[in-house]
This record gives sequence, structure tokens and C-alpha cells, in this order.
Amino acid sequence: MPFSEAEMPERLPVTRLAPDEDLKARFVSEAERVRAHVHCVPDAQAALATLRALLTTLQAQRAVVWDEAHLPVRGVVALLDALGIARVEGDNHAVATADVGITGADAALATTGTLVLASGRGRPRMASLLVPVHIALLTEDRIVPRLEDYIAAQRAQGLRVFRTSSNVTLISGSSRTSDIEMHPVFGVHGPLALHIVLIENLRGEMPAA
Amino acid sequence: MTPTFQQAVRTALKDAQLQTALDRGTTRSYNARLVAMAETTDAAALRRQARLARERALNRLPELLEELERNVIANGGHVLWARDAHELNQHVIALCKQHGVRRVIKGKSMVTEESELNHALEAEGIEVTESDLGEFIIQLAGERPSHIIAPMLHKTKEATARLLHEKLGMPLTDEPEAMTRFVRGVMRQKYLEADMGISGVNFAIAETGTIVTVENEGNNRLSISAPRVHVAVMGIEKVIATWEDFAVLVQLLARSATGQRLSVYNNLISGPRRPGEPDGPEHFYLIIMDNGRGRIFGTEYTESLACIRCGACLNACPVYQNIGGHAYGWVYPGPIGSIISPLLLGPTRAPALPYASSLCGACQAACPVEIAIPDLLLKLRRDLVQAGDPSLGWRVGMRVWAWMFRSPRLYRWGGKLAAWLTRLLADRAGRVRRLPPPFNGWTESRDFPVFGAPSFRERYAKRLREAQHADGVNGAH
Ligand code: SF4
Repeated sequence: MPFSEAEMPERLPVTRLAPDEDLKARFVSEAERVRAHVHCVPDAQAALATLRALLTTLQAQRAVVWDEAHLPVRGVVALLDALGIARVEGDNHAVATADVGITGADAALATTGTLVLASGRGRPRMASLLVPVHIALLTEDRIVPRLEDYIAAQRAQGLRVFRTSSNVTLISGSSRTSDIEMHPVFGVHGPLALHIVLIENLRGEMPAA
Repeated sequence: MTPTFQQAVRTALKDAQLQTALDRGTTRSYNARLVAMAETTDAAALRRQARLARERALNRLPELLEELERNVIANGGHVLWARDAHELNQHVIALCKQHGVRRVIKGKSMVTEESELNHALEAEGIEVTESDLGEFIIQLAGERPSHIIAPMLHKTKEATARLLHEKLGMPLTDEPEAMTRFVRGVMRQKYLEADMGISGVNFAIAETGTIVTVENEGNNRLSISAPRVHVAVMGIEKVIATWEDFAVLVQLLARSATGQRLSVYNNLISGPRRPGEPDGPEHFYLIIMDNGRGRIFGTEYTESLACIRCGACLNACPVYQNIGGHAYGWVYPGPIGSIISPLLLGPTRAPALPYASSLCGACQAACPVEIAIPDLLLKLRRDLVQAGDPSLGWRVGMRVWAWMFRSPRLYRWGGKLAAWLTRLLADRAGRVRRLPPPFNGWTESRDFPVFGAPSFRERYAKRLREAQHADGVNGAH
């Protein structure tokens, strides 16, 4: 063994968080810091209204959407139909014509403003990836303090999600680059804009991925 | 013929554009890391934890690699082993043939820079496109990356704009935003057309067979999600034991590399698309390459394998800040490059690199996994001297030096002589611009300071005398 086995000190989480800190407020401020647009709404109905407003402003015509069973609010499909927005799926070439992607979120990490999305049946990766605008519907009860807490929760479930989802993605804000002179530019290859609709009084009843 | 290190340095120092780009780039990243590390719970304790996570992984390297292989297979993926760069390329070419691949899209990977995979694929008639913005621009320019995480750090935005204008007809602009948007447009089609996506690996988590790629642009996730085949390539040292180790390492990586709390996308990949999943690649291959790493493992240089390629030591290094990445002559530049290039290539291929350091220690102070970079550089220098056949001048010089340092009288005498000489040679501003041979190497690229007067020894002796005198006075009471 190249290194002597050192006694492991107690693990310290990386980010600071006050004991009485409001997780939702922290999540919102961290997510906005990394150029996500967060829309806080009180309930499912308000979430649909916000979604409608966003889609109208975007003049969206084609959308890639997670199956309704994996979204925290019912009525998204009906809303799309009412707005005359077509749902595209399947082949990447078809998906590439979408102007918006709508997903749920399995978890959110407060201290880094991060969304956690697991792939699975009815959960296309492309809805958060190959679209100019990504809208994520997140319920407040999914917010955990830190990455460390999310991992502890997965550990408690035998790390199942990492064995069954081919792609779990941690998304922290809008796609960006610093390649040109380390000057930050937002909107590179991933979505140009990330909207998070944060629903306060709703328990996310999404099935696991 | 490739230039020697000294020639490359001279060229780099004269390149005004490069100097501008380096100034802008390294200063920004250096400051960003300082801020991001200072706001953590306890930077020193976290670096210790990250270090221990890497030590634990290296201590069990063979077992962890086997565990990783078992779990990747359990996830439906395949694992291929490559003894060296050539084998890596052969594996990829064979996979291309097997799957009828004509176009490849690539996310950033240093390992494939090591193996020059792009050339190997192009020689087989396979089109390869780098999808990371910086890597794409480097590929267009026919250059090599000059920084581990910011591959085009050597390029100014003006030069980038000219290149995109000339090669792809982009309207001229000096706005990084406009250039980025232009490349986004070009790249869209490439993702859709590609048959295979190739990515590097930042961490491979043995316990679930998950590989992690860390990125900001989204190009990596697109490259590994859109094509039908995903090939991930890693060096053997990338494996870690647990998800808890991942949590600390990935956060220190982001903070040390760019000052972010987390990179925008952390892609955790466990095998190919699962039954029922609507998208993602149908096939997943993990290629694990040794290419000289096994030779380092178990030697006094083992800790160099703990590196997580954050680039912080590059940004902190006064040598890198002045000469940039290309002068180092191979894939890995900067302080860590000066260690792993000679170790991976063999000492004679990069003999100047262990000396390309003032040993100031800024690299070690920046390193999130506490690699003792200056110590390792000194050990490499020792090895070079022991292995090589130093010139007569060097041997005689060292003898004389040792002889003078063994005799206090000679030492004092030599010091006086040197002090007198520097004063004699100094210009009006009090600097020695040019030393006579054999010391002229020093003043080729820097001034030599004039010795202070009185010398330390003289001052010390005087102090001692005064103290004794004072003691004597006190003692009389
Ligand atoms: S040696 Fe340390 S500072 Fe340098 S790239 Fe590796 S991990 Fe980062």
C-alpha cells in the first residue's frame, strides 16, 4: 500500500449553512446566482398558470416533455394541447426541433442551487439538454441542504438510483463557458435558459425513476 | 524538429498576444479559486479529506478497478483495458468498425490527447469533432490545448474571432457571447449526425460502476447522450471508492478549477440506456488505460496519481503564468505536468521540466489534494543527476561548491568576493544585468541582485558582540 492508512477524520460538508437557514430561500438565491430563473408559486394551479405564461412568452410550438406521471402537477399535457403546442418524442432529429423542454426534478440542493434529474422510463434526457429552454417543475419538499445530504439519502436506499438510471444529472444553473479569456458566457451547448417553477405547498408524488 | 524547452520559453516570452491572454486568464482563475475556497466550512480540513479520499483509492487501486469493472458490466456496459496509448486507439478504432461509425463527437479528454486519438481516427477515415468550445477552436486552429481545463487559455478573444471568421465565415466581433453563440449553431448538427460520442472521465465510482464527467457547457452531456455509442476513456488512477468521497472531491474540483460551487453539469453515467428509457446511447464502453501510470504506482511518486486535474497549480505558478502551456511540450503543462510528463514519457524525453520551477510552493498551496509538488520536482532532479552523465563543468562546479561550503573560512571569503563582484558589475540602478560566464545563464532572463552590505554574517557577528557586551554590563549589577 503506497500510503499509510490514516485515521479518517469526521467528514465535514463543503458548504456553509446556518442551522436555522431557510432552505428554500437559499436554493432560490444560489440558483439565481448561476443564472437560473426561479418562479416561486404557492400551489399546483399557480404552477400551471406560470407555465402557461412562460410558454406563451416563448411562443413555443413544440415541446419535449416528461410523462405526466413523472411531473409533480397534473394538467401539463392538457395545457400544451390548449396552447396548440405539439409534443415531440423519439428520434433526436425530431427532438431537436423542440423549442422547450419540460421536466420534473428528483431533488434540489440548496447550497449550490442544483437540480437533480434521473433518467428513466418517461423521462427523456433530451428535455433538459437538446432544447433552447428548459423548464423544471420542482416541489419545495424535494430541496435538501447539500450534495452530501442527497448522497446520504441515496445511501439509505442502497444507492439504487445510480444502478438503475443510466444518467443522473446534477444541473447547477445555465450552461456556460469560460473558455474565451476565462470570461463567463452563459448559454453554450446546453439550454440557453433554465426556468425553475418552485411549488411551495405541494408534496411531489412523482414515482422514482 | 520540436523546439527545446529553452527555445519554446524564449518564443513564448516574446509573444505579446500570449502574454496578454495569460495575464487575463490566470489572474481571473487564481482569484476565483481563492474566493471559492475561503467561503467553505474549512478549506484546510476539506483539502485533507479530499487527499485522504484519493489516498484510500490509490491504496486499493487494483481491487477498486476490478470492482469498477464488475459494476460497469452489471449496469450493462463493457470494459476494455489498454496497456498504452496505442492499445487505447486500437480499441476505439475496432469499436468504430464494429458499430459502423463514420462520425465521432468528442467531449474533453486529456487521456485521448495523450494517445493522439484524433489523428488515429482520422487516419482511418473517421471524422472527429471536438465539442467543447475551447477544444473545438483549438482543433480548428490545428493546435494543442495549453491548459488542463481552459484549453485555449493562450488565445486572446481577438485571435479567436479572426480564426472563426477565416475558417467558418463568422462575422467579425470581439464579443465572447457572439462567438459562443456562433459555435453553438455550428455544433448542433454535429451532435445529431455523430454515431459515437467519446468522453473523458473525471471520477469513476467503483461501488456502483458509475463514471462522472464534469463540465459547464453541456457539450459533454450531449456528446454522450445523443449518439448511439458512448465510449468513455480514463486513466487507471481515476477510480474512487465511494459516493461520499465523490461529494467532497467534485466540489473541491469545481472550486479549485473555476471558483464555482459546482460545475453546471455533473453527468453521472451508469451504463447504456436502460430498457424503457426513451433516449441515451444503446452501447456503453469504458476503456481503462495504464500508459505508464502503473510504473509510477508504488514508487515515491505515487502521490502524483492523486491529481484530479483541476488546473489550480497552473494558474498559481509564476512559471506557467509567464510561458503558458505549450512551452512544456506535451499534454500536461504546469507544475503537475513537470512531474507527470517525465514520469509517463520517461525522464529523457522531458529533461528540462523538473527544473522549470522556482520551488516557491504556490502550486502545493493551491492543490486541493495537497500534492507535494516541489518535493516531487526535487526528487526528479535528483534522479536526473543520478541517471545522467553530467558534464565535466557541472561535476567540477559542484565539487568546488561543496568544498567551499564545507570550510567556514572559504565560505566567508567567497561571499565577500561575490559581494564585491556584484557591486562592481551593477548598473546605476543597482542591478546586475549580465553576469560573466559560467553564470551568464542566470541573467539571460532575469537580473541578479546586488549583495547587501554589510553581509548577514557581519551583522550577526556585530549583534552577538553587542549582546555579549550588554550581558556583561547587566552581569555587573
Ligand atoms: S496537482 Fe493538484 S492543483 Fe495541480 S491539477 Fe492536480 S489536483 Fe489540481
